[in-house]
Amino acid sequence: MSKKLNILSYCKIKDDKISLNGKVIYQDHSNDLKSFFKNCYKNLGIEYSKFFKMDNLSKLGFLASEILFKDLNLDSSIKGNVGIVLSNKSASLDTDRKYQETINDKDNYFPSPAVFVYTLANIMIGEISIRHQIKGENAFFVSEKFNETLLEQYASSLIQNEKSSHVLCGWVDVDNDKYDAFMYLVTEEESQNYSKEIIKKLYKEN
Amino acid sequence: MSQNRVAITGMGIMSSIGNSVEENLHALLNNKKGIAPIVNIETRHKNEIKVGEILQTNEELSKMLNLPEEHNYSRTALLGCIAAKQAVKQANIRDIEAFKTGLISSTSVGGMDLTEKHFQNYNAESRRLINSHHAVDSTEKIAELLGITDFTSTTSTACSSAANAIMLGARLIKSGQLDRVIVGGTDGLAKFTINGFKTLMILSDTDCTPFDANRKGLNLGEAAAYLVLESDAVVKQENKTVLGYLAGYGNANDAFHQTASSENGEGAFLAMTKALKIAEIKPEDVNYINAHGTATPNNDLSEGKAMKRIYGDFVPDFSSTKAFTGHTLAAAGAIEAVYSVLALQNNVMFPNLNFKTAIPELDLIPVTKVTKKSLNYVLSNSFGFGGNCSTLIFSKN
Repeated sequence: MSKKLNILSYCKIKDDKISLNGKVIYQDHSNDLKSFFKNCYKNLGIEYSKFFKMDNLSKLGFLASEILFKDLNLDSSIKGNVGIVLSNKSASLDTDRKYQETINDKDNYFPSPAVFVYTLANIMIGEISIRHQIKGENAFFVSEKFNETLLEQYASSLIQNEKSSHVLCGWVDVDNDKYDAFMYLVTEEESQNYSKEIIKKLYKEN
Repeated sequence: MSQNRVAITGMGIMSSIGNSVEENLHALLNNKKGIAPIVNIETRHKNEIKVGEILQTNEELSKMLNLPEEHNYSRTALLGCIAAKQAVKQANIRDIEAFKTGLISSTSVGGMDLTEKHFQNYNAESRRLINSHHAVDSTEKIAELLGITDFTSTTSTACSSAANAIMLGARLIKSGQLDRVIVGGTDGLAKFTINGFKTLMILSDTDCTPFDANRKGLNLGEAAAYLVLESDAVVKQENKTVLGYLAGYGNANDAFHQTASSENGEGAFLAMTKALKIAEIKPEDVNYINAHGTATPNNDLSEGKAMKRIYGDFVPDFSSTKAFTGHTLAAAGAIEAVYSVLALQNNVMFPNLNFKTAIPELDLIPVTKVTKKSLNYVLSNSFGFGGNCSTLIFSKN
């Protein structure tokens, strides 16, 4: 018999605001991403110095996952096998451009491996995995628009086929100063409350 | 015994130690390494590195494929086409469309060799050549050559790419999605790779020395290898000769660092554990391990620790063949799959060349001479940057 799935918790970070399960938990009026992320980090009481080495995309994904894992307080044995399915539209373009600037000019040539490693969008999954010691299945998809069908099917398949008991899913996009993060954790529960319509509704709500 | 076994019915290989399966076996049995100073690529590092290079030029490789003069095949595609063709020939496939057939090919460098030669002088002609830059290009060319239309996919997960291609193929057969699949990988040498690894400071200026305490890093190599995997049903229906079986596979990540492997070999340990579970065998059933053994300080220590975590003081006979071929990146898992099957077929273990002193933290001594032994299961490791770790297990029966 197929398992009944339910979203345990969801988090959104957009327009200088962080919300958890529909309630705003942090808000400020920073003018730039860097200060916004720094303020979030401080206000949420996170202690993880590697955060400051991350690029903006990884920071955004990291913050959303941090809020969800803190809220849910999963056992480390469950956490270790969480599946991760993330998506966005800009891949790592934000960092690709920054890296390109360091190699454009032969006379002012300063590429850095520390920036280069972030020129792949799925490094964000790596950062979340390293933080929480997650060794489950993972995938990163790039598409023009938020694709609730893909997220619904991929996560369901991982749980139905018992690859993961919990799946962290979402959309995490950063491009220049625009950003949009929506992340949720889905698992098996007694009643079914997981569909592409529900995912879309949660993503769209303010 | 589980249902839907995955049989290996054909193999093809191009590497610095030979242009066919037979030549590779001959070199392995006679300590003939392919590591030497670089010839085909003009690089400022030529005096500081040694490589496992295939000596044929692109023109010579093109002739082997009877290509028209105006083609845009990268070195990666040329090597891949030749090796894949050999595999299909050995598998005695006359009509590729008789069964649902796929191609899963891996590459890390793609058509970079053409791009780096032509991008400084961008015009219509160079554009035509640079069009073969993307990783999928070599897969498409191989598929076209073989007439494969049912399913193609390209994997690029650094040095575990080919192992992951083989694993995906096996899963597609087991799940009944495909009846037959050609799997493997191809990577031509390019300045891009040489410079990249030079920057990482993990290239040795001497012949590499896997699992040696004084190892200085790796030698790069180029190669391509493909295996034909077929379902039980096809083997039975066509009365195929089976070279060996892919009994198990596993892939895991380290969750440790963006590029380095963890010190305790967590990813490697998990990959081997998963593969043993899929193969439904005990660790001690493995008779020989064809190790990843790149001869970098990080890999060999991490892999050795992972083997010890599984086997304690009773690590099976193992060796790395990287000192023969160099590290052939996205082809490594495929050429070593061919070597693993050759080991099973011939009941022989290949030497880990250039080994002198055991790594003190491990105290592990690899097989250093051609050694005959009855083999039923051979385990092969392939680990990629970022802790993308894969293990394949091959069986005789």
